[in-house]
Amino acid sequence: MNNNKRRGDPPPSSAQAKRFQQQKPPQSTVDEYEEMDEDVEETLLLREEEEALIRKDEEERGQVIAARLSKWKRPNLSPAYISQSKNIIFQQLEIDYVIGERHKELLSTSSGGASAAILRIFGVTREGHSVCCHVHGFEPYFYINCPPGMTPDVISRFRQALEARMRETNNKNNNVSKLVLRMEIVQKRSIMYYQQVQSHPFLKIVLALPTMVAGCRSILEKGIHIDGLGSKNFITYESNVLFALRFMIDCNIVGGNWIELPAGKYKKTIRTISSCQLEIDCLYSDLISHPPEGEFSKMAPFRILSFDIECAGRKGHFPEAIHDPVIQVANLVTLQGEDQPFVRNIMALKSCSPIVGVDVMSFETEREVLLAWRDFIRDVDPDIIIGYNICKFDLPYLIERAAALKITEFPILGRIRNSRTRVKDATFSSRQYGIRESKEVTIEGRVQFDLFQVMQRDYKLSSYSLNSVSAHFLGEQKEDVHHSIISDLQNGNSETRRRLAVYCLKDAYLPQRLLDKLMLIYNYVEMGRVTGVPISFLLSRGQSIKVLSQLLRKSREKDLVLPNVRKQGSGEGTFEGATVLEARTGFYEKPIATLDFASLYPSIMMAYNLCYCTLVTPEDVRNLNLPPECVNKTPSGETFVKSNLQKGILPEILEELLAARKRAKADLKEAKDPLEKAVLDGRQLALKISANSVYGFTGATVGQLPCLEISSSVTSYGRQMIEHTKKRVEDRFTTLNGYEHNAEVIYGDTDSVMVQFGVSTVEAAMNLGREAAGLISDTFTKPIKLEFEKVYYPYLLINKKRYAGLYWTNPDKFDKMDTKGIETVRRDNCLLVKNLITECLHKILIDRDIPAAVQYVKNTISDLLMNRMDLSLLVITKGLTKTGDDYTVKTAHVELADRMRKRDAATAPNVGDRVPYVIIKAAKGAKAYERSEDPIYVLENNIPIDSQYYLENQISKPLLRIFEPILKNASKELLQGSHTRAVSISTPSNSGIMRFAKKQLSCLGCKALISNTEQTLCSHCKGREAELYCKTIANVAELEILFGKLWTQCQECQGSLHQDVLCTSRDCPIFYRRKKAQKDMAEAKVQLDRWQY
Amino acid sequence: MVAMEVDPSTLQRKQSLYQSQDERFEIKMEKYTGQQYSQIYFARLHKMRAILYSLVEKWKPQLPVCTVLDLELGKECIIVGTLYKHMKLKPCILDEYSKERSVVPVVKPHNFMHSDDQLVLEDESGRVKLGGTFLAPSKYVTGVVVALHGKETTSGEFSVIDILDRGLPPQIELPLDSGEDKFVVLVSGLSIGNEKSNPLNVQLLVDHITGHLGDAKVQNMSSQIVRVVIAGNSIELPLGLVKGQTLAAKDHSKLTEPIKELDILLTQLAAAVPLDIMPGPGDPANFSLPQQPLHRCLFRGASTYNTFISCTNPHWFDLDNIRFLGTSGQNIDDLEKYSEAKDKLDFMERTLRWRHLAPTAPNTLGCYPFTDRDPFLIENCPHVYFVGNQSKYDTQLLKGSEGQSVRLICIPKFCETGIAVVLNLKNLESHTLSLSTDLDL
Repeated sequence: MNNNKRRGDPPPSSAQAKRFQQQKPPQSTVDEYEEMDEDVEETLLLREEEEALIRKDEEERGQVIAARLSKWKRPNLSPAYISQSKNIIFQQLEIDYVIGERHKELLSTSSGGASAAILRIFGVTREGHSVCCHVHGFEPYFYINCPPGMTPDVISRFRQALEARMRETNNKNNNVSKLVLRMEIVQKRSIMYYQQVQSHPFLKIVLALPTMVAGCRSILEKGIHIDGLGSKNFITYESNVLFALRFMIDCNIVGGNWIELPAGKYKKTIRTISSCQLEIDCLYSDLISHPPEGEFSKMAPFRILSFDIECAGRKGHFPEAIHDPVIQVANLVTLQGEDQPFVRNIMALKSCSPIVGVDVMSFETEREVLLAWRDFIRDVDPDIIIGYNICKFDLPYLIERAAALKITEFPILGRIRNSRTRVKDATFSSRQYGIRESKEVTIEGRVQFDLFQVMQRDYKLSSYSLNSVSAHFLGEQKEDVHHSIISDLQNGNSETRRRLAVYCLKDAYLPQRLLDKLMLIYNYVEMGRVTGVPISFLLSRGQSIKVLSQLLRKSREKDLVLPNVRKQGSGEGTFEGATVLEARTGFYEKPIATLDFASLYPSIMMAYNLCYCTLVTPEDVRNLNLPPECVNKTPSGETFVKSNLQKGILPEILEELLAARKRAKADLKEAKDPLEKAVLDGRQLALKISANSVYGFTGATVGQLPCLEISSSVTSYGRQMIEHTKKRVEDRFTTLNGYEHNAEVIYGDTDSVMVQFGVSTVEAAMNLGREAAGLISDTFTKPIKLEFEKVYYPYLLINKKRYAGLYWTNPDKFDKMDTKGIETVRRDNCLLVKNLITECLHKILIDRDIPAAVQYVKNTISDLLMNRMDLSLLVITKGLTKTGDDYTVKTAHVELADRMRKRDAATAPNVGDRVPYVIIKAAKGAKAYERSEDPIYVLENNIPIDSQYYLENQISKPLLRIFEPILKNASKELLQGSHTRAVSISTPSNSGIMRFAKKQLSCLGCKALISNTEQTLCSHCKGREAELYCKTIANVAELEILFGKLWTQCQECQGSLHQDVLCTSRDCPIFYRRKKAQKDMAEAKVQLDRWQY
Repeated sequence: MVAMEVDPSTLQRKQSLYQSQDERFEIKMEKYTGQQYSQIYFARLHKMRAILYSLVEKWKPQLPVCTVLDLELGKECIIVGTLYKHMKLKPCILDEYSKERSVVPVVKPHNFMHSDDQLVLEDESGRVKLGGTFLAPSKYVTGVVVALHGKETTSGEFSVIDILDRGLPPQIELPLDSGEDKFVVLVSGLSIGNEKSNPLNVQLLVDHITGHLGDAKVQNMSSQIVRVVIAGNSIELPLGLVKGQTLAAKDHSKLTEPIKELDILLTQLAAAVPLDIMPGPGDPANFSLPQQPLHRCLFRGASTYNTFISCTNPHWFDLDNIRFLGTSGQNIDDLEKYSEAKDKLDFMERTLRWRHLAPTAPNTLGCYPFTDRDPFLIENCPHVYFVGNQSKYDTQLLKGSEGQSVRLICIPKFCETGIAVVLNLKNLESHTLSLSTDLDL
């Protein structure tokens, strides 16, 4: 929410506008614990002359666009809309505010000055009309506790003192006549701690502008002198709530819901400032916010723009906006709910051959390309802008490029006609997602939805390149053109540029397909609706804002207020985490039943009424004399009152969330329409995630409202439940009680317990599992419930948090192989580890053939040591998050990136890229980080791989882990023996000492040196000619087979037979093999030629 | 076995004029500089388009000829381009990396067709999906260059109305019937070293050809054999041994024994009759087409005769001005995996009509990445077209609309059937020569 602009201000001089371009963009920090409405920034409105210029320019170029307008424009307004006789009902997507002139008509009676905050709601009606609604009359406020003796007179003096202090500390507000509008006494109660008194007086402080809240708060917290009361400092309440969110909470608006404005209650804006079809003014009290149910659970036909740009970088550099032109922009526009885009076009610099089904627009100058795109955005008017890494790359690049070219009229991309789009550096830090640098581009009224951010947030993947993401979710490899080739294609002819355009279009299409496939719009809108935050918050902020929003909403209903607590030091207050029962490691060949607690933490919070407002402070425990039957003492020693004294807010939120999830799941079963199903499934998922994040919110020490008493109580109960379950199972299911065997709990984790009942069939284990779950559930306080879900059979328990097994939910057929904590999923390992472990588990668990698994391991180790391993299996990938200087410890990938930069800056990895490397043989004593090398370089120069490193540091540990429970002498059996003896090392062909070596032919049979005339074999080996030839030729044949398979596959991926494959996607599993095949082909040819016919 | 005494003056082996046309299949002069497969497609399309354009003028002169890019909605036209067949079941090297390994392989290994297969036409300018029911995807394969009549529909597909049947390639005239019988023996799949291979059968074949068998009549016929062509898979070497790193002494003999055995047989043959040996998929030769000649060092004995010719696969030669074209079978076997026809002869006929010996190369059939040419184009129609290593013998005389006539022959695997094929140069009639001893034994 940084879209603050002052509408009423005089237009700034051009010098000012210029200064903006030169100055460094301000740094803003959007993090979890400090959220504030920022100071008003420099206004960036256009001068009238400038506007006129733009208009003239548009007219000139209008012809290019005119033909396409009919397809681009939104549907025309019906007469009922034009005559304002119709209720306007729209789905809102984005809410922000500006500071502007008070609406004199709507706010005739009020105390404020000339300026006021105006909220803007952007949305779309059912017919697809765009709406911009200016909401007036909502004022920023917060609370403080009211000291005794507050007479109207004292309050008035207090107000004046505060007003004076605020003017002192900040002279920006000089042109505002009254800073503190009102101070009034209200009856509220703090959410913190159980209190017997129902309410206390609080002072509600209403300010003129949202940007004043932060300053005012700090004055009050630090202390202020009030005549008659003396110097006082205050705890402030709800002083840290973003203005737009405050508005949404107070008006019951949730993210992405429908809003109705009855005819007559809104006014058409006279001096329109937006490009929306319906621009109206209204009072905040006249808004009708519809809960997302029934008809209002649907989605409006949003316009979703998916785009991608290509830039022609200079050789050796990643494209920089200062130097490198934007050469192509590909756009696809899709209506929400339709499966095909209705606009597909590409804007290309210089001529570009046509593409079937795509509107190709060629321009002679970059200026025309950029302006055409701006016009396109204006005309097609997208509600949501998606793409891959658009927030960090594409959008900032376009804007910075326009600035570099001095095209001042370019960055008008938002829905506010005369406001410039700006770029800011932002840092996003969150406990869950870590620190991420990003750029923030504000485009008013349009939601940016960067699929790259979504992937990073929602999925754990080994790589986040568009290629590997689409390979993962869409099951197809995408060709990847390295940015160093792009310039060559651009400088070619219209055909090569067409080639580039096809590539660019594909990059624009994939995000849309991902969006559809993963149903992200549904899931995110549902998440917004459930938690009540705007869609844009979901990507730009962490988890806690969602809980906070719900907490604030609930508290408001109950007249509770949330204190603004100083953040606590992050080091303090750690508490014991979840329990893990001792794992009895081993390979279990009898079925293992798994008993799970359904939503354990939320259930505990509900069962024991754990909340801020039910927590009793230690003093109160002593003073209040609460009867023991009314309180729960948690295993961690805290006291909470039971719900008969005070019902907790958190339990209530959780109950609602879980009840809603139950409903959604029930509806999901009923639903037939796939769209409806998508919405419901998105909702139930959102509800589940939200329920689980409540616990985290209370434990986030640098969060909005941490309360470790709650979180440590939750985990302590969790531990108790697990222990209790173990005991009950082992006491009950015994031969003494008439069961066939004694049950044994072999392992227990956070919310599940693994039991071996001793029976040998899956079905019998399932029956006992169900029985146990039912029995034990009855001993818990509701709604804590133990469920029986699955049986593992066989089950390989390696240690805590690591296991593998076949997963059965019905007795006839296993569902899948399930692994946890095993190298099949870790991202840092090379593919060899993953393949080896997966294959072994497959052999052990599915084939039940342990000797075969052992043999497989031996063969693999032998291949590795004999240098027969496919290089792509040995590539290790690590993300480069900072440059070398910023790392204190030297690491392999960072060092390599530095070395590569020295070799060729063009292809070297940049910060944010993942760096692939292999470990090579090097001088004795060389550090591991010095032995990393670029796989391509290794291929090209025949550099020997350090197979011992791979054996010792990569595969041995994970292997031993899975084999130790199975084999007696796993280490001896697997890692020693004849298969480890034969070792072959290829010699480097052009490094180190070899540069001084003289090349001489050697006999293909025995490697003896031979004079050149003999060509192939020494005299001793001449007799073995046929045999040796057969071997050579078999080798050649194999290389040819691979060459054919690999290169035709790449042709298939790129979708063209007649053009060379350009792809340089290092994420593609066959990339290195393909490169190697090329080299092998040349070598095979040479080898064959040596055997002259 | 005692050879019968024959009067050399009465039985003289007939001669014929032999000229190899294999130069185009040699890659000795090619240099690999990292090229990919696009160039061979490009060369193919370029060459083929010239031919197709000249035919289109006679076929449908009233229609405009377009590139894929110039297609206009609803306008009928002719487009020329390379077919590409999207195949759901086609095996793919990326499957090796797929996350979910299936427990049972889904695809049957001999045929990868599926009812959802989709044809696409591609030229240098772009691709377009082919619609309509005229073209059956099951009949076509990736790599064939075609001229299509049709129009672009609103869905962006090119709806095909007709396809140019270009007929057989032009043929040089068949030389006048000399009146005398001259035979060529075609054999393939000797598979020496294979357990199933019966050494007696092979020896009988050699003895028959060299005239050491049968009565005077048979020997007379033998003397009329002017050439033997061995169409691939003469040796079968134990794969594991070839790939192993070091060879134990006893394995050494296992590897060289079949080679020696073959050499002895070939030496006997070469001493009596001119002989062409082509490499096949199982031979110690390179894998990609064109396969290069088997190395001399494998045939220490036979290679000393000038009648012994180790040639390429495919093999193209003239015998008494009769043009022969043959392969060891890979081209036809690959078509069978990716398309459908009533029999192997049908596949053979298609390759002639497509005027391309191996359209699926390089897509599914290994092939050298040529840069400036496509050696598999059939610009002139052969008189005899044979493929080796088929499951059974089959033959047909194919007639073209312009008087062309081609003898198509499927040569069965000798080691399984004991059958060789005999072709009479006089009238291009062929029959089998069965040497199977299985029934007798």
